[in-house]
Amino acid sequence: MTKGIKICLVAVLTILVISAVMTAIMIEPKKVEAPQYVEIVQDNKILYRIDIRQEKDRTFRIEYPDGGWNDITIENSRIFVSDADCPDKTCIKSGELKNEHFPIICLPHRLVIRFSEQGERNENKTTD
Amino acid sequence: MKTKRLTELSLLTGLALIIFVVELRFPDIIPVPGVKLGLANIITVYAVYKYKAAEAFLLVLARVILGTLFASTFSALIYSLSGAAFCLAGMLLLHRIIPLCWMWLCSIIGAILHNTGQIAAAAVVMKSFAVFAYYPLLIIAGCIAGAFTGVCAQLVIKKTKEKRG
Repeated sequence: MTKGIKICLVAVLTILVISAVMTAIMIEPKKVEAPQYVEIVQDNKILYRIDIRQEKDRTFRIEYPDGGWNDITIENSRIFVSDADCPDKTCIKSGELKNEHFPIICLPHRLVIRFSEQGERNENKTTD
Repeated sequence: MKTKRLTELSLLTGLALIIFVVELRFPDIIPVPGVKLGLANIITVYAVYKYKAAEAFLLVLARVILGTLFASTFSALIYSLSGAAFCLAGMLLLHRIIPLCWMWLCSIIGAILHNTGQIAAAAVVMKSFAVFAYYPLLIIAGCIAGAFTGVCAQLVIKKTKEKRG
């Protein structure tokens, strides 16, 4: 084993361990209650900021200027992409938005659906 | 470039494309944008060790562009290109340090770099850092996939060496 290999091996292991720890931390939703506000962002522009708990159940379509669309459904204070015309359908398979760290992302349509901190803060939100 | 060399590279490109198209049929393991087994990268790793830098570059370029055409996901081209560029640059440098029997390590680093390039391109295109949330997850997936493709490529090189004696 040469020195070069050792350096590479240690580097890979370090990166892997850091990633594993970060994923483990991020995958666990910190807050007891999901945040209240949801932002729908396209091309870094906020299209909607929704108070998810007060929103009525509905489905609406977001058109992408260069063609393409995503159908977003709000149901019982949950939000998910119900249909889209992108080839990979990753946004649909991601399911509902559960975790403040992992937004729903549609790469082809440059769409991000994420929780937002905007709005009144809850006291127990910072305990983790 | 000699005709024989050209033919070999074309065959490898064809092989990589076949693997790529077959892999398109695989269901997603986890619904995270960018996570893939990337079996076609067996050919990339193989080419990095068997051919000159320029030749490996041409092979990968042809594979990525043709692959995008076959998959008809044009929006994905920029992510694939950026990922492939990072991956190839890293592996071409590293294969001087890392000998054949450690090929899988080179492949893992290549996979990590691939994901880095991909996610950087995604952040630029989407003008948002939201995608970086998936970076740690992508690295883990990349390490697993990279180790697998690396071992496969290593076996292929070993077998061809045995055949040729």
